[in-house]
Amino acid sequence: MSRRLPQWELTLVVFTLVAAAWSATLSPYYLSLDQILNSTRQFVYPGILAVGLAVVVVLGEIDISLASTLAFGAVLFSKFSAAAAPIWLAVPIVVAACAALGALNGVLVARLGLPSLAVTLGTMGAFRGLAFILGSETGYTSFDDSYLYVGSEELLGSLPISFVLFCGVALAVGVLMRRTVFGRRCYAVGLNKEASWAAGIDVAQLKIQAYALAGGLAGLAALVWIGQYGSARGDNADGAILLVVTAVVLGGVDINGGRGGILGVVLALFLLGTMRNGMGLANVAGPTQTIVLGALLIAGVLRPAIFRAVARVYRLMFPRLADAPN
Amino acid sequence: MSSEATVGAVEGPQRTLGQFALRFRVSGVLAFLILLSAGFALLRPQFLIPENLSAILSNAAILMIVAAAQAVILITRNLDVSVGSIMGFAAYLTADFAARNPGVGPALVLMPLAIGGALGALNGLLVSYGKVSPLIATLGTMSVYRGLTYVYARGQEVTSNRLPRWMIELADARLSGVPILVLLAAAVVCLLAAFLRFYPLGRRMYAVGSNPEASAFFGLRTQRIVLLAYVVGGVMCGLAGFLYAARVGTVTVILASGWELTSLAAAVIGGVSVTGGSGNVIGAALGAVVLATIDNGLVLLGVPEFWRMFIQGVAIVAAATADVVIATRIRRSLRVRRRLVRSAA
Repeated sequence: MSRRLPQWELTLVVFTLVAAAWSATLSPYYLSLDQILNSTRQFVYPGILAVGLAVVVVLGEIDISLASTLAFGAVLFSKFSAAAAPIWLAVPIVVAACAALGALNGVLVARLGLPSLAVTLGTMGAFRGLAFILGSETGYTSFDDSYLYVGSEELLGSLPISFVLFCGVALAVGVLMRRTVFGRRCYAVGLNKEASWAAGIDVAQLKIQAYALAGGLAGLAALVWIGQYGSARGDNADGAILLVVTAVVLGGVDINGGRGGILGVVLALFLLGTMRNGMGLANVAGPTQTIVLGALLIAGVLRPAIFRAVARVYRLMFPRLADAPN
Repeated sequence: MSSEATVGAVEGPQRTLGQFALRFRVSGVLAFLILLSAGFALLRPQFLIPENLSAILSNAAILMIVAAAQAVILITRNLDVSVGSIMGFAAYLTADFAARNPGVGPALVLMPLAIGGALGALNGLLVSYGKVSPLIATLGTMSVYRGLTYVYARGQEVTSNRLPRWMIELADARLSGVPILVLLAAAVVCLLAAFLRFYPLGRRMYAVGSNPEASAFFGLRTQRIVLLAYVVGGVMCGLAGFLYAARVGTVTVILASGWELTSLAAAVIGGVSVTGGSGNVIGAALGAVVLATIDNGLVLLGVPEFWRMFIQGVAIVAAATADVVIATRIRRSLRVRRRLVRSAA
């Protein structure tokens, strides 16, 4: 397995390069640093959500309420901005509030033993409803400039701050998953819950922490959202969860838990971003992009089945070779 | 004292306890529905007038069919989030065909059924033979089917004046005061319930959902059974899409988007477990009525529409909690029973 994963990540890099080369032939405007850097913007908020979701998926659970948590966070930011609160006060409070919503998911899943799909399906509606109740139907657009800074400004002329933030988040969570006790325990629980419990890991607490982390990151993604779109409303990022789940699965994270890493998710986001950017420049219509996205998602998960089918054909063609002990 | 007699004596009351709990689940939905209606009726007397009740049922009718379709798939421990896209695809293609061939008769109904069945079969193939996680597979096909509808439609829509007259009339027709849509939905749901309850194939769907490995060892063709569940679900979504098109008149590409969540919510509220093997389609249909009642009551109370989302979400979590509590109860009673049997033997 450890041999196959880097292979998959390499495959993603190759796909991304192919997609970039193809985009360059489609439009003469593609190959410009400004353009490419600018195009990363629209993938920052789903990217941050995907990194958080990856942690939950490694544990063998799912969270489809993250986009709703983002909407809640965005509306909460608008409340702080309306009250003229300084941004350094608003960010920790909003992130903590979103982490609390995530922890609520975690408690329902881990302590009560409810299926995570049903729970987060419910909280997906509930959190979005909460965002609407907290805000209003008309939305809020008069943000203070300090709130928009992270999501809208650039460093050194053309490097979006939001992209730097995403890289920082991905790096931090990547290190967390690979190098810390927390991360290694997540993999252990994802591979075998009972064995991990018997080995003395507090599975329930670990799950609650993972959900809280994903929720907190959704709060951070909300900061990027308001900077990029300048508005906060209950229906923010509605439907974005499809893209987020696609990125996680395409990145090689096993939906049953225990396998895959943050690097794969980041590479999958680059691939999706390159394709979306290229197709956009080539005037491919939105619906066609959606079809490609869906097909990619299915191809991403069919991967093991395709490997199996190839192996079976191989065995049929060379029975003696495959059966020989190696 | 013979051991057999003891076993029999222990088994009797324990089994009725389990049965009681299961029956309690569906009657619990019914009780919740009655309580909810009583609450709305107390606050707003016009809730109880026949026109309003009939409106609730008409609104619930199509969702009842989709919730039942979702339930069949959930029972086999799978999931279909592409139901809304299947409805949209089947409805748009059918409406477009009807608009191009004005003289087409009621045989048109077969078209959405076939389309729905084919799309459901593709989902089923991916899940059962492709071994793709059902959430991922149908999340993918959800966007693929919806995207194909967009591409086919090219920004057009089919307006009601281009649809055949009988199709529009069907949606408003009444049989001795009861809307035809409601009767049709009830008939479909009851047929499906009978199939799942009394036919071997229906029982096998429950078996596969309760324990896929055990049913495979038992000799069931689990892959084929899962595929069939998806095909049945797809056909019903096709039918629901057709009825929805007839009801709204103007068929757009976004028809029934978001229904995947509403149908899941209805099924879960109706006591169908997302972990498979328990619940029934009647419960799912009742769940659809609960959702329609909440919608209607909130409108009457003048509560802003977005409260609906919040209440629906909380209802789903509450229903899932109730399921787990009941399942734990049953498991505990089974354990006690087994211990008693062992000590008796």
